[in-house]
Amino acid sequence: MFNLPPPDILLQLSLNGALGGAMYGVAAVGLSLIFGTMRLIFLAQGAMIILAAYFVRALFYGLGIDSFLSLLIVVPVGLGVGWLLYQGLFRRAAAEADRNVSLLIAVGLMFLVQNLMTVVWGGNTAAVVTSYTATGIELFGVRTSFTRSMGFLIALAGTGLVVLFLRRTIIGKAVRAASEDMDAATLMGISPHRVNAIAFAIGISLAGAAGVAVATTFPFNPFAGFIFSLKALVALALGGIGNVGGALAGGILLGLIEAYVQFFISGGWTNAIAYGVFLLVLMFKPEGLFSRPYKKA
Amino acid sequence: MSQALKWIAIVVVAALALLPFVPGAVDAYYFSFLFFVFLYAIMAQSWNLVAGYGGQISLGSHAFFGLGAYTTAILWTGNYLWGSLYDSHPGIYYFDPVTMALGGLVAALAAVIIGLPLLSKLRGDYFALGTLGFGEIVKVLFVNGGDFTGSAFGIVAPASSFDTLRPHYWVALGLMVATALAIRALMRSRYGLALIAVRDDEMAASANGIDVLKVKVAAFAGSAFIAGVAGSLYTYYIFHVGPDSVFDLDWMLLPLMMTVVGGTGTLLGPILGALVMYAVFDLARIVVPDYHPVISGLTIILAMLFLPKGLTRLGVMQRLKSA
Repeated sequence: MFNLPPPDILLQLSLNGALGGAMYGVAAVGLSLIFGTMRLIFLAQGAMIILAAYFVRALFYGLGIDSFLSLLIVVPVGLGVGWLLYQGLFRRAAAEADRNVSLLIAVGLMFLVQNLMTVVWGGNTAAVVTSYTATGIELFGVRTSFTRSMGFLIALAGTGLVVLFLRRTIIGKAVRAASEDMDAATLMGISPHRVNAIAFAIGISLAGAAGVAVATTFPFNPFAGFIFSLKALVALALGGIGNVGGALAGGILLGLIEAYVQFFISGGWTNAIAYGVFLLVLMFKPEGLFSRPYKKA
Repeated sequence: MSQALKWIAIVVVAALALLPFVPGAVDAYYFSFLFFVFLYAIMAQSWNLVAGYGGQISLGSHAFFGLGAYTTAILWTGNYLWGSLYDSHPGIYYFDPVTMALGGLVAALAAVIIGLPLLSKLRGDYFALGTLGFGEIVKVLFVNGGDFTGSAFGIVAPASSFDTLRPHYWVALGLMVATALAIRALMRSRYGLALIAVRDDEMAASANGIDVLKVKVAAFAGSAFIAGVAGSLYTYYIFHVGPDSVFDLDWMLLPLMMTVVGGTGTLLGPILGALVMYAVFDLARIVVPDYHPVISGLTIILAMLFLPKGLTRLGVMQRLKSA
């Protein structure tokens, strides 16, 4: 059927796919946290990532702050913005039994952010071009871009920190408990609003981290976010909803699938095949590909 | 519905039906405005059937809308239906009931094909995600459809007889009223009761002998049929059916928003929501053209913060209903 290409090209494909997919992964980790506690499909995540990318660009061209250093600003700002978004927009809706309400607030937020960006920065494609944008480095004997590798590291570090937070801190434990059973967690004295707000804050700060990776690697425009949200959802489903490490792995897997489909079939089919895999996983392995089977009590 | 509300509805529909006879009305701005309100109200009813009454949140309405639009454009440009009659009557495909019904049927068929596996396996949010994925797949299929679907550009329908918006207006109004009446009748039937029962408690419904999967798939297919007919109607208005226009996510998001603002699971909610929301959007487009999507976003957020149960559940409406 296919003529298998030489191994170095395969390796190149896999590496680029995995590095690109890690960005879906970090977006998916944020979605996973928010979905876990609020059962909300936060469709505005992609728009928040692009907003962060514009912010990084403004810091670079306006104040001359290096884009990777701006992580130190973007991530704390993301935490604050996430907290405020929850308190201002989602707090009341979270108490509502009808979850369409929160979904629609997310959609409204997406419209709002996308179009505010268009008003402020224009609808054209923007990019951050630094001295190292075109620099390549050698990994496993294959040349790849420096910024992509940095994006991968950011994704790994971000996910690692979230996993540590969930496993090692008492607040993290509360978030995990709330994701498993909000009612039982509330009975144990965990405040749902606090847990939701924390999940939101971390989710948006991860969007900030993803924004840094996007800004340094790809050209972007105000409307590029939605496709990112969709890809993050696919990554989330591949990894298993509620499984943070799985979400990153799901993103990397999605990046690999896209890279292979693009190479072996055609660029036009990438999305159809990615969503096809998504549907199959949802139907036949809804707990995700990377979760250990467990028995429900 | 109370007697008072029934009479108000009859008078309003009659007035709307007679509007095109008012001199100058056809060329007025509000004429095309009303056409779009009717179109969105039909789409909102479609979403309300499966999500509001059925409790299955579908995020794939735009796929069914697009399927209906493409079916109409393909049947028309390829002249697959009427053969030589088309040569003697060039306007035969125009608002042709058979073509429009086929648009709905293709969408309903797709809904059954995708609905059987999705609805038997997936619940709640997973079903919503699945329909979202389905919508994207359908779009890619049409982009890659070669000459049959016109690829990324789409299809331009032969526009021989478009010189007035009057037929569009009447057909849209008629379809909106027909959809509302059909759903009203449906929800009063055994089937409607079963649908509500499944929404409220699947387990209890199943224990009472309701075939849950059959009821859900039927609601999904019915919703898709309505969306497909709406897509067909849109083809007669826009003529250029392309993947980015008819599979646009707005065809799912706006009706969803209109239904929730109007009131999910109510008959008048989708219509009221379509009128109010489209008025807000269009007003913003005219008054502040540069900022209008910003205003739209703000409106959705504000509506959800302060009116989460929808307009029809406001006190005024409740009093009218009981009058």
